[in-house]
Amino acid sequence: MTETNKKEVIICRCEDVSEVEIKQAIEEGFTTINAIKKRLRTGMGLCQGRTCQKLVARIIAQETGKSMEEILLPTTRPPVRPIIMGAFEGEDQ
Amino acid sequence: MNILDHPILGEVEAAKRKVTLFVNGRSIEAYEGQPIAAALMAVGIKSFRQTARKQQDRGIFCGIGRCTDCMMTVNGEPNVRTCVTSVAEGMVVETQIGLGSWREIPHE
Amino acid sequence: MNKVELAVIGAGPAGLAAAIEAAQLGVKVVVFDENAQPGGQLFKQIHKFFGSREHRAGTRGFRIGQELLAQTEELGVKVNLGSTVFGLDKRNLWVLKEGKTEVYQADAVIVAAGASENALAFPGSTLPGVMTAGAAQTFINLHRVLPGKKVLMVGSGNVGLIVSYQLMQAGAEVVGLVEAAPSIGGYGVHAAKIKRAGVPLFLGHTIAEAIGEHQVESAVLTKLNESFQPIPGSEITLEVDTICIAVGLTPMMELARMAGAELKYVPKLGGHVPVNNDNMETSITGMFVAGDVCGVEEASSAMEEGRLAGVTAAEYLKHIAGKAAADRKALIREQLSAIRNGTFGNKEHLKDKVKEENTLGLRFSGTPSKDELDSCPGVPSEGRLAKGPVAVIECVQEIPCNPCEQVCPKGAIKVGKPITSLPQLTENACNGCASCVTACPGLAIVTVDRTYDENKALVTFPYEYLPLPETGATVHAVNRQGERICYGQVVKVRNNKKADGTVAISLAVPEEYAMEVRSMAKGGTK
Ligand SMILES: Cc1cc2nc3c(=O)[nH]c(=O)nc-3n(C[C@H](O)[C@H](O)[C@H](O)COP(=O)(O)OP(=O)(O)OC[C@H]3O[C@@H](n4cnc5c(N)ncnc54)[C@H](O)[C@@H]3O)c2cc1C
Ligand code: SF4
Ligand code: SF4
Ligand code: FES
Ligand code: FES
Repeated sequence: MTETNKKEVIICRCEDVSEVEIKQAIEEGFTTINAIKKRLRTGMGLCQGRTCQKLVARIIAQETGKSMEEILLPTTRPPVRPIIMGAFEGEDQ
Repeated sequence: MNILDHPILGEVEAAKRKVTLFVNGRSIEAYEGQPIAAALMAVGIKSFRQTARKQQDRGIFCGIGRCTDCMMTVNGEPNVRTCVTSVAEGMVVETQIGLGSWREIPHE
Repeated sequence: MNKVELAVIGAGPAGLAAAIEAAQLGVKVVVFDENAQPGGQLFKQIHKFFGSREHRAGTRGFRIGQELLAQTEELGVKVNLGSTVFGLDKRNLWVLKEGKTEVYQADAVIVAAGASENALAFPGSTLPGVMTAGAAQTFINLHRVLPGKKVLMVGSGNVGLIVSYQLMQAGAEVVGLVEAAPSIGGYGVHAAKIKRAGVPLFLGHTIAEAIGEHQVESAVLTKLNESFQPIPGSEITLEVDTICIAVGLTPMMELARMAGAELKYVPKLGGHVPVNNDNMETSITGMFVAGDVCGVEEASSAMEEGRLAGVTAAEYLKHIAGKAAADRKALIREQLSAIRNGTFGNKEHLKDKVKEENTLGLRFSGTPSKDELDSCPGVPSEGRLAKGPVAVIECVQEIPCNPCEQVCPKGAIKVGKPITSLPQLTENACNGCASCVTACPGLAIVTVDRTYDENKALVTFPYEYLPLPETGATVHAVNRQGERICYGQVVKVRNNKKADGTVAISLAVPEEYAMEVRSMAKGGTK
């Protein structure tokens, strides 16, 4: 690991996305959880964003002045838990 | 380190069965019913996988199956959450690089 | 398609209490939990809970879990484990079990999914060895493995305090507890326990960095100024192998949201929570909530909310009606508001009764100040102390708790109503029997006998670590700050089964230290 890597703050543990990358994206105009997700894959890891969502929201709040309340209400899409893909096309649906 | 005696929970039953698993080739003992992650922790193994983008070490984070940071390749199957998967006799556990890949494991 | 009358999502204290209540009223209940083990948070909680007898106060969390489970079994409630509910609309549940999806149709649903732990990001926060406090707790108390030998705890809420204590019980050393705020977030009695064990509290500090090549080798702390900005040059490096994060919980309201329940953002409750009324009804007819999912609180209130939701669901399903239902709910509500009355009552009573200008007290140091002790109704007078063994109740914070009152055979302790009142000692009724010493879940009571010997006093305190000292041994006696202030001789070690692991140790110490000695150093034989 290089020195710069060590100092880096990882926000999305699943997709290895850092605070700096998120701040850059916000500067580029990606200012919602979903926009950042599309840009950087934050929240698209196997944990489905459970671990990083609030952290991403806090950075957006800091950088844009928007309230956490406003930022944190994206539409949830199932599944709510890391589950093996394919299960969703379950027999009963 | 296994906690063999505890002021509130008492001693671990002496009769508790042990199983052997293979971690990156090294054989370790674990108590039956223990999650893989606990067995590794007991012998001091902390790094479970390496991330795809930045090759960083990861290990236990949430401990209850939610964060997926503890995923390893188990019996050739990648992305197994070791904190909620119990050990079994002869299990083959490997450090996972990135998202891992399916692989045949030579059986003893 | 499987049909059920009432589906309960989550087998934690809230879900199980709801299932029991509804089943008692004749409802056919099915419970789902994604864990392999039921009980939610309860099974990793090995400390004694606060509350009153009705809340099973003084009982260890995991035993409460066992009791709840036994009750569900008796009532024939079906508990589906390893079953993740991953989809919910008004009536249908999509459940994943062993890789297969099952769909259930329920006449009513109670969502009791609990809360999940917040993460914290800092340089090095992804290094192996950094984990949530709940993870550490799961490993030490359920899987019985120590995650590390030297631990730094981040966060001074009840979770941070309790897990620190439990890590020490499991054999780890807690080298520090960091808290960004200038005061301790959790109950003072929990803080006092770890303070007595000598854990340094770094209030007004935060973690700046975790350092290590492949795993944590050390942690850097930094002091914060009034606007919570790091003060350059204030860094402290601690050698640790484990860093535990205890910075709050977020309600898991995803299922309720997916079903279309109206949500509200309440920071004090941990984030967005499903809007509910005092019957635990959500905006969706036939859907109810209970426990941490609708606001992070405690097991005792989670159980009461569960019971309330259980009754409401039973009423909705026409198993109980009219006055009978109203009376039952009123009773539960009364209990709920009793728990919520104190300094920490969360959902409705957010007032903080502690004087903030007093920066010396329990909330700022982990030890009660002289002022707090002097004005504490549980501390006996000099005159009474001179006469012989007597209880010294150093419980100075209004918390919902009264096992001391209930256990005293002499009726010498009064908490009364509300249950958050400070315990009051009737000093002349107390004979120093020490029953209250091991019954207090806060470990806040000792007995002191100043007449023990010509120049020795006898201090009897609760102790929950291994190894236990031998009678006759000389040990390091410690004060409220965990400092070794003198030697003490172990006169008695009482390990009463009823005290469930809390041992009463009597130390003979020099008379002048009678009101200072409050414990002994862990494994601290001379
Ligand atoms: C370290 C610590 C110490 C504490 N100390 C105390 C104390 O001293 N006194 C006290 O009163 N309280 C204490 N509490 C708080 C108490 O444990 C919680 O408030 C309580 O457990 C909340 O109960 P619950 O039933 O709402 O949630 P939980 O206990 O979290 O249970 C929720 C259950 O739902 C399951 N679940 C969630 N989502 C799904 C899904 N989609 N499908 C299937 N199942 C699902 C989970 O697996 C879990 O088992 C403590 C908590 C912690 C973490
Ligand atoms: S020492 Fe005994 S008599 Fe005195 S208050 Fe405690 S329980 Fe009651
Ligand atoms: S002294 Fe009484 S009220 Fe205070 S923590 Fe102990 S048992 Fe509870
Ligand atoms: S931490 Fe971001 S998706 Fe898992
Ligand atoms: S440690 Fe989070 S899933 Fe295993």
